[in-house]
Amino acid sequence: MRIYLISFVLLFSVTIATAQNIDSFFVTKGEKPALCNDEVFLRRAYLSVTGRLPSKEKAAEFLNSSDTNKRTKLIDTLLESDEYLTYFGNLWGDMLRIKSEFPSNLWPNGVQAYNRWVHEKLASNTPYNQLVSELLLSKGSNFRTPAVNFYRAFPRKTPENIYGNIQLLFLGNRKPTDNGNVFFTQIRYKSTKEWKEEIVYIDYHMKTPLNQVNIDGISLPLTENDDWRTVYVNWLTSPKNQRFVGVMANRLWYWILGQGLVNEPDDWNAQNLPSKPALLDYLTKKFIASGYDMKALVREILTSYAFQCANSGVGTFKANRLNAEVIVDAIADITGISDQYSSRVPEPFSYFPNGTHSVELGDATVSSTTLELFGRASRDVSLERQHVKSLNSRQLLFLMNSSELETKIRKSPVLNDLIKNQPTLNDICKAVTLTVLSRYPTEKEMQLFNSYSNQNKLTTKQLCYDLVWMELNSSEFLYNH
Amino acid sequence: MFKIRIPGIIFFLLIIGSIEAQQAKSVILIYLDGGPSQTDTFDQKPEATRDIYGNYKNVQQTNVPEIVLGEKLPLLSKIADKFSLIRSMTHGFNGHETGHYAMITGDMSGGSVVYPSFGAVISYKLQNSYKGILPPYISLVEANNRFNEGGFLGNSFKSFGTKGAPEKDVFEVEGLVNTLVPADKFKNRINLLAGFETQNKDRMNGVDEVAIQSLRSQNVELISGKLKEVFNLSTETKEMREKYGMNRLGQSCLVARRLVEAGVPVINVRTTGWDTHKVHFPKMNQMLPELDRALWALLTDLDEKGLLQNTIVMCGGEFGRTPRVLWEAPWNGGRGHFSAAFSYLVAGGGFIPGKVIGKTDATGEKVVERKVFPCDLIGTVYKQMGIDPYGTLPHAIEGNLPMLPSLDKSGQSNGLLLELIKK
Repeated sequence: MRIYLISFVLLFSVTIATAQNIDSFFVTKGEKPALCNDEVFLRRAYLSVTGRLPSKEKAAEFLNSSDTNKRTKLIDTLLESDEYLTYFGNLWGDMLRIKSEFPSNLWPNGVQAYNRWVHEKLASNTPYNQLVSELLLSKGSNFRTPAVNFYRAFPRKTPENIYGNIQLLFLGNRKPTDNGNVFFTQIRYKSTKEWKEEIVYIDYHMKTPLNQVNIDGISLPLTENDDWRTVYVNWLTSPKNQRFVGVMANRLWYWILGQGLVNEPDDWNAQNLPSKPALLDYLTKKFIASGYDMKALVREILTSYAFQCANSGVGTFKANRLNAEVIVDAIADITGISDQYSSRVPEPFSYFPNGTHSVELGDATVSSTTLELFGRASRDVSLERQHVKSLNSRQLLFLMNSSELETKIRKSPVLNDLIKNQPTLNDICKAVTLTVLSRYPTEKEMQLFNSYSNQNKLTTKQLCYDLVWMELNSSEFLYNH
Repeated sequence: MFKIRIPGIIFFLLIIGSIEAQQAKSVILIYLDGGPSQTDTFDQKPEATRDIYGNYKNVQQTNVPEIVLGEKLPLLSKIADKFSLIRSMTHGFNGHETGHYAMITGDMSGGSVVYPSFGAVISYKLQNSYKGILPPYISLVEANNRFNEGGFLGNSFKSFGTKGAPEKDVFEVEGLVNTLVPADKFKNRINLLAGFETQNKDRMNGVDEVAIQSLRSQNVELISGKLKEVFNLSTETKEMREKYGMNRLGQSCLVARRLVEAGVPVINVRTTGWDTHKVHFPKMNQMLPELDRALWALLTDLDEKGLLQNTIVMCGGEFGRTPRVLWEAPWNGGRGHFSAAFSYLVAGGGFIPGKVIGKTDATGEKVVERKVFPCDLIGTVYKQMGIDPYGTLPHAIEGNLPMLPSLDKSGQSNGLLLELIKK
């Protein structure tokens, strides 16, 4: 078996060698298209990997560095950061619909255990196939074997709903037509004497409803006294199942670049073909060959032209509105004042400490009016479209004229420090732009800011507030571009 | 009623042609978040024991013989001919979250689909006909965010939460009213932003700058224009403000009346603090007079202004509270969650006033006549708003789904409240 696997992997490695890398799919007429400049790269990298902005010190350090290898170094630093784990963990949480109350009804203890499990899996960079196997073959207590929360996160825990969700998450199939739900008919639930603990277990005494199930032209047998999920999961996560691998590779592509090769990333069907099939095929094979190493794939995407392109095109990075959580957290970072979050689910009520970022909440039951306004992922469904990317007038109204936001700007310890330490107008302009937009202002912008300040006879403090307001309202701030 | 003169024949054809004749133009929900006690308000049981009526043995006779109210509602008792009571609301979900979801969406089907709140449905249905600049669905001052009220309709149909405090001198409505930034300052900032965006327009590859600019201009108009005056309560007389009560609930109701005048179709006045597990009666002593005053003021004011006939007013929570008082520690005279039988007040918008629908037993713990489920009430509201309650809503994956999946389903519905609406 092991020899077979090794030769399998080798076979793929050989195939890959001929295709070299992602960039080769973007070369036209032997020429490599232009890469974005450092300031665009810096912001893109931070937002795409961590969902956070760089501090102005980190931004300056990168922009001022003359190291020719600084982009790759930054990517590696970001991929080793806690912020990466939190941000990607949050994206996983959206997929898995981690939520205390309706419709997932996991309750706070279950939510915490589940979040910790996801975090650990990402921190140890568990191979994707292994992660999915662990998730789908889990049984036991929702507190002690947190992965079983997968089977609890349904308002109606029927085999059809469970199977439908598995098909959607791992195969991008929105409408399962086979009867694979049979594999999940042995799942049972029981409560314990501990508040909200639930045991997910397998009924081994159940008679097999069918001797075999046909999936994708393959007949999978059901044996009595066996956990039938194993049969399905072995098929699902087998390296032969390229669709399984392709869906996750494409999802990572979508998370990082703002558009998938298959769009929407969870709608794989014959009418919705990939924009660059050969590239998707390459990614799939590369992902398998790497041993389903998600971080390695993310790293390869980040270091490629597709991510670092100057002009977006088919299959490359595409400007996209920041997620609600990212906008709210960016405002918290820029002003140094975060929103207050609390969970009203009686277990008992819990209050999140000051400085909590919204990506750290891990529970869609805990929300705020601003998060809802920008459309934080609802976790009602396992669809990527729950990440609201559209911009509406109410969201702009908040940025343009909210007294809450204005108060945060004026009371900001970060900005008031900055005013104290930057005596000249030019220094203020530079520091604000570096803080909000992660770049230095251009000559023309400096002129614009200066004449604005002179015309209106502003103090450095007033100028600082106005500039922060203005930059928070710019489309440059609102988009990962 | 009609300011524009329409030739009689066309008017006649319009009436004939409309399948759902629209009776109501707006709906106000006074939402008592946490679950109010029906026993102490709309479904008094003076004949029962102290374990049921608790500290409120007395009742208020009203100007409608068959309606009797709790003793803390003297003002509403004077105008019982302006509203009706549903004493047989029921859904069976005793958790805040599930009760709230059922009550606000009407969905008790138990499926995996998350339905939108009725306010989101109405704003979705009116998206082409509503021409106002104010958001079509406004929450004073904040919606209950524990479930995604946009449901499968998505983010754009959620309510606009005003935040701020209408009971203060200035009601700072999020994004609209901002006393920290005066008009000239705002104008300067907008000019600075315009200059910056013009310089930067080539930087943003793949972003529709024109669309963003047009949204911004629309907002500038809204912020600098007269429309936001709707939130300026200083234009009301002192007497009018005091009539509603100088508290969060009262002043929110006053704003709601002004929003109705401005043509906003759905207004959610959400008041919290009704989850009175412990020391219930002292809290009721303080909260019920505020509720009494606010509701009385809203109903009489709408009526005097000729708005009540086109405005639905509903009042209730996600469920009621146990008719039986929990005298023992740790509750010390509290009331728990109770969803088997609770009450809702409805008025205006074509609802027949002065009636009582449904009945509970001697202790108020069981509905004995005409159960009313959430979808029955919400469906009737849709009908009054000119929306077919048997219509569908588009779901991204599932295709068209019934707007009210529970309507007319046994155990989830008992039919629309046709007996409570004017023909």
